[in-house]
Amino acid sequence: MTGDEVKLLASMAGLVIDPAFLPGVARNLDILLAQADLLFDPSVDPLVEPAPVYRP
Amino acid sequence: MIGVTDRPALTQAPTQAPMQVVAIARAVRSGDIRARDLIENLLDRIERLNPSLNCFSAIFADRARAEADAVDALVAAGKDPGPLAGTPFGVKDNYDVAGHVTTAGSLINRDLPPAREDAVLLRRMTRAGAILVGSQNMDEYAYGFTTENAHYGATRNPMDPARSAGGSSGGSAAAVAAGLCSFSLGTDTNGSIRVPSSFCGLFGLKPTYGRLPRTGTFPFVHELDHLGPLARSAADLATVYDMAQGHDAGDAACADMPTVATRPYLDEPISGRVAVLGGWFDDLADEQGRDAVARVASALGATGTVALAGAARARAAAFVMTSASGGNLHFANLKARAGDFDPATRDRLLAGALLPANAMQQAQRVRALFREEVLEAFRHHDLLIAPATPCAAPLLGQPTIPVGGRDLPTRANIGLLTQPLSFVGLPIVAAPIRNGRMPIAVQLIAVPWREDIALRAAAQLERAGVARGPGEMA
Repeated sequence: MTGDEVKLLASMAGLVIDPAFLPGVARNLDILLAQADLLFDPSVDPLVEPAPVYRP
Repeated sequence: MIGVTDRPALTQAPTQAPMQVVAIARAVRSGDIRARDLIENLLDRIERLNPSLNCFSAIFADRARAEADAVDALVAAGKDPGPLAGTPFGVKDNYDVAGHVTTAGSLINRDLPPAREDAVLLRRMTRAGAILVGSQNMDEYAYGFTTENAHYGATRNPMDPARSAGGSSGGSAAAVAAGLCSFSLGTDTNGSIRVPSSFCGLFGLKPTYGRLPRTGTFPFVHELDHLGPLARSAADLATVYDMAQGHDAGDAACADMPTVATRPYLDEPISGRVAVLGGWFDDLADEQGRDAVARVASALGATGTVALAGAARARAAAFVMTSASGGNLHFANLKARAGDFDPATRDRLLAGALLPANAMQQAQRVRALFREEVLEAFRHHDLLIAPATPCAAPLLGQPTIPVGGRDLPTRANIGLLTQPLSFVGLPIVAAPIRNGRMPIAVQLIAVPWREDIALRAAAQLERAGVARGPGEMA
């Protein structure tokens, strides 16, 4: 993730990130996206209920 | 076998004064000790030791003296001052204390008005006769495992001041371990009670999600936040937990469950089926952690090993959910005053605020699957065992820790073994094992709503000499 990519994402989210913070945010976003990748491989049945299930 | 060394003086209780909840309450209720004398002794000790350990962010000396006098007055009048009479305690700085600002370890929260009343759990403690002495240092907004706070400094481990006390309830743990209070109330979102219990050699309880009301505490991740105590013994932990129980409508996630007294049954040995968690929980442990688990497994008669295949993915999902939820919670301040955050917190929260919604939705789905996997394991077992941390307390500022044969960044990986379990809300007691230069804790994991099983297992380990807190007297 580059600083420019982070800036683009931030603008879509309504955030303006100080240029001094961009390297740290990019590094952490890379870590987060690597963790997120683990959630999709192997694939999960999209019909698995994601909402909390309340049992009496 | 890994050698055991003597503990240095900082972990000892004040001379001539009991530090365990049960002993203090007994002595105060019988009139053998005046609560005021105990508190004066303790305030003096805090004044001497806190500057170097940095456990407390605020000391409430006047309040403590007034509460101690009230307890002594009740004793003098022949009235019952409560099961925790005269017991000094502290709260993590994300608990509201009436008249004080709840900083949650941040600069930003200092702009908030002072709390109008105490957090519900704090009120329950004082109603039972306990005496609040102060609020305690933490990672900013509870987002960390080392209590190295850029605004308020690092909390030092009383067993070795060069080392981390763990986090994010690091001040709470270090204060108990140093004998600056008898117990603390902390919070645990991804391991923030269990990790500092492991590093400081304490008993810690993270109850079932929804068991204890969070009313009057500053949140981190609503769907993962738990409150719980840290204490010097299993009996103290159970005594405090019993006083903390009960529904409160101020926390929408608090289940309206009947209270289940645990202290009266603590001496009953557990008779259920016990197993060790293998796979992820064994692969990422070090030699000391494995040795600790083996000792506990032997003492509790564990009969098998359970591998939770979804643990790695559950940890990843907890990691994702934490960043995204934190980014959402703090979005307004990230937008308006990002420079006022602790840099280590800020960059992770900003990253979380930019995470695609797709990942968050998938994390929810992964959680549902993992919950079913865990509940299936509990159809065959009553208690599961796993190390609490990949290693014992690292040095403050140490950039990496050894995990599974690799050196990984310290802050992001201390919670590897706690995160998958709190992600599905299980009740867990961290029991301290002293099998190295520094202690390490083992997680005693029970089926939802059965905190009593985990507490009885901890007490059994303590009676057998396998688990040991900081002890009673100097």
